[in-house]
Amino acid sequence: MLILQQLISGLMIGGIYVMVAVAFTLTIGMLNFLNFTIPALFMLAGMSAWGLTTLGVHWAAALLGGVVIATLASLIVERFTYRYMRVRYGDATEHALPLVSSLGFLIVFEHLVLIALGSDPQRFPTPFTSSDIHIGPLIIGIPQLVSLFLSLVIVYGLSQMLKHSRVGRALRSIAENPDASTLMGVNVNYIVPVVFIITGVMAGLAGMLFTVNYGDVSAYMGDNVATKAIAGMVIGGLGNIWGAIAGGLIVGLTEVMAIHFFGADIVKIPIWGLLLLILVIRPTGLFGHTTIGKGKF
Amino acid sequence: MTEKILNIDMLSKSFSGLQVVEEVSFDITKGSRTALIGPNGAGKTTVFNLISGIYTVDDGRITLDGINITDMPERQRVNCGVSRSFQNIRLMPHLSAIENVMLGQHSRARSVGHLMFPLGWVPGNRWARRAAEALGEAGLDTHAGEVVANLPYGVQKRIEVVRALMPEPKVLMLDEPAAGLNEKETEELQVLLEKASAQGVTLLVVEHDMQFVRNLCDHVVVLNFGKKIFEGAPSVVNRDAAVREAYLGTDYVDAA
Amino acid sequence: MSGYWAGILAILCFNIVVAYSVFLPAASGQLNLGAAGFVAIGAYTSGYLSTDVGLAMWLTIPLAALFTGAVAFLMSFPILRTRGVYMVLATFAFAEIVQGVYINLEVFGAAAGYPVDAYAGLGVIAPVALGVVVVSFFIMSTRFGLSMRAVHDDERVAALFGVNVRMTQVTAFTLGGLVAGIGGAIWAHQFNYVEIQNFNVMLSIFVLLYVLIGGTQTAFGPLVGALFFTLVPEVLRVSNDWRFVFFGVIIVMMMVVRPEGIVTRTMTERVTALLTFRRGNAAKP
Repeated sequence: MLILQQLISGLMIGGIYVMVAVAFTLTIGMLNFLNFTIPALFMLAGMSAWGLTTLGVHWAAALLGGVVIATLASLIVERFTYRYMRVRYGDATEHALPLVSSLGFLIVFEHLVLIALGSDPQRFPTPFTSSDIHIGPLIIGIPQLVSLFLSLVIVYGLSQMLKHSRVGRALRSIAENPDASTLMGVNVNYIVPVVFIITGVMAGLAGMLFTVNYGDVSAYMGDNVATKAIAGMVIGGLGNIWGAIAGGLIVGLTEVMAIHFFGADIVKIPIWGLLLLILVIRPTGLFGHTTIGKGKF
Repeated sequence: MTEKILNIDMLSKSFSGLQVVEEVSFDITKGSRTALIGPNGAGKTTVFNLISGIYTVDDGRITLDGINITDMPERQRVNCGVSRSFQNIRLMPHLSAIENVMLGQHSRARSVGHLMFPLGWVPGNRWARRAAEALGEAGLDTHAGEVVANLPYGVQKRIEVVRALMPEPKVLMLDEPAAGLNEKETEELQVLLEKASAQGVTLLVVEHDMQFVRNLCDHVVVLNFGKKIFEGAPSVVNRDAAVREAYLGTDYVDAA
Repeated sequence: MSGYWAGILAILCFNIVVAYSVFLPAASGQLNLGAAGFVAIGAYTSGYLSTDVGLAMWLTIPLAALFTGAVAFLMSFPILRTRGVYMVLATFAFAEIVQGVYINLEVFGAAAGYPVDAYAGLGVIAPVALGVVVVSFFIMSTRFGLSMRAVHDDERVAALFGVNVRMTQVTAFTLGGLVAGIGGAIWAHQFNYVEIQNFNVMLSIFVLLYVLIGGTQTAFGPLVGALFFTLVPEVLRVSNDWRFVFFGVIIVMMMVVRPEGIVTRTMTERVTALLTFRRGNAAKP
């Protein structure tokens, strides 16, 4: 029974990792860009929501404000990163440029928050203290259940949007062939920011859900999620949204189970060892489905 | 001299079901200057890529100076005596002109001593001198130290030819070397290639510029849709019916 | 020299060494976001050889370097099968694995850390760093260095001219590991204590940044990058956090206005031409 309880916790946290993993995988698949700012956006949503509540803002508005701030930050990143990426020769280190920019932004955002709000972890005044359902001996937190449901719905919505909407088609065509897309009349300069908006919203929502469910926010909350989300993305295959869903949940489950059985630190070895193997042997991920955009790099 | 230096025998290659090169056979005589021509998409660059080893052969044989290089790894083919230039310029953009040319010498650097010699620290070392001389012969020595990415198209194209000559190849394959060159540059290229030919290098050139071909080459092989449709002297190539049909279409053939 | 500046100089030497450990593979087209992993191996190895085995520093440092180089050689087989972002992630994964391993090894003190006996002051560290710089410049000046840079720009064409691409890449990666081992040894003997928490993601990120901001096209790049990142905060004398904000902004702006890095091939070429012209050689105008 305890195992089952742990499995449920794993799924809950996994739901949050899913959204961040999807943000990562979407950016890689669409834009060939490992966006290290994503964990910072996650953190910005949580920390600015907390900051807003200290200014007297109602908790719901603060959470929404957090997501908005994260999205705006994402657009700033787009303005100064991707816009300027001119891949001239396509050689190895030039592909690193947007990655380096995103690292720059990661450093800026994290330290701005440290300056403005301090390094101490804070407690977000979550309004849901004890609304649980009890199924037998199992305890399932309602807000966590809602989050898991919400994150799956959002990701499903995203994949439908990509498949059926005009914007989605434009995005997929850019991912396949940016030059042909421009010739076909797709306005790359308007469409690419859409990816960054989606990224900001996903990371922001994930940050919001994390804050509501677990209450603890700090300037460093992005760092933890970053490695888990990247792991989820790799497991699912870079560029594969459904894979990221599976990957995020798997990582959440593995994390909780491993902590339960072995303790936190030793977990790193098998997880990252597995990831290294996947990257080397089967970069399309455990599920090997087709990814958005052709095999880049 | 009728000794054959390069034999292409029933070469075939397809990509995803599309037959790009189909049972192409021709021989290149040592010391000759052959043009490989044909409409776009005829498979000329693919033939080059098969000879270089960039693509693996589906069927057929490639023999260079008696050695079967059909399955040889690309890295070793330059040691057998084949070198090339490219349709789209493929110089190392971050290296200078002379460094690109010195890369061409790599196959001549046999020992670890050659490999670890500090070229950059010993000015006037024999590798650099030879490379500078080669650039000088092509009239390009003023650009020696410049990073190639900053150089004009015509200059880059000719540097590629100089680089391709550095391994002292038996067969030099040039993929559209005159494309995009103005009249003066084309003349200088022709002089450079004639010099190389006089020194015994066999030339195999893909070109669309028929004037250039007529001035330089003594033999022509024509490809269309992956098949060889004609082989002979440049003076008679445009009288052949199959060639006219390939370039002009059926309606025009009889009108001649 | 005041103790404070001696400390800064020691950090500078460390930064220079680890910058070159990432530069050598980067010059061949390999992106390494796992420098911290190799540095950690070097630090623990030299520390262990010093404390538990009792060897002197002139042995621990080279031995640590060799061991780290050997690990890099072995890791090159899986890692060099990847390219681009996959390689970035693979090297990142490697560093995480190394962290996981050391934090659980009791023989190295696990999370508490490991004390190192022998102390290395500037008198040891500075010459070692200088040696690394000189050797790196040497390597880049050779035909091998030329082939490294050729592989960076265009692997396929380099192969067509006879370059053994695989050998070049493995050697570059192994050399990177070797130099990182030297860096780790410097750290261990300078601070006389090794804690795995110091060899974290931020270290890997910053070392990669030294190289990419300094410039990967010439051997001057990592030197300039390490100098910039070590000395500029001292000049600015602002709080720790604002220092990082400043860095972040500089990094973003650099990628916008000068993505090749501070020192480029074109720049060194122009500087050389200027100098040789002054000496009266018939250089181009």
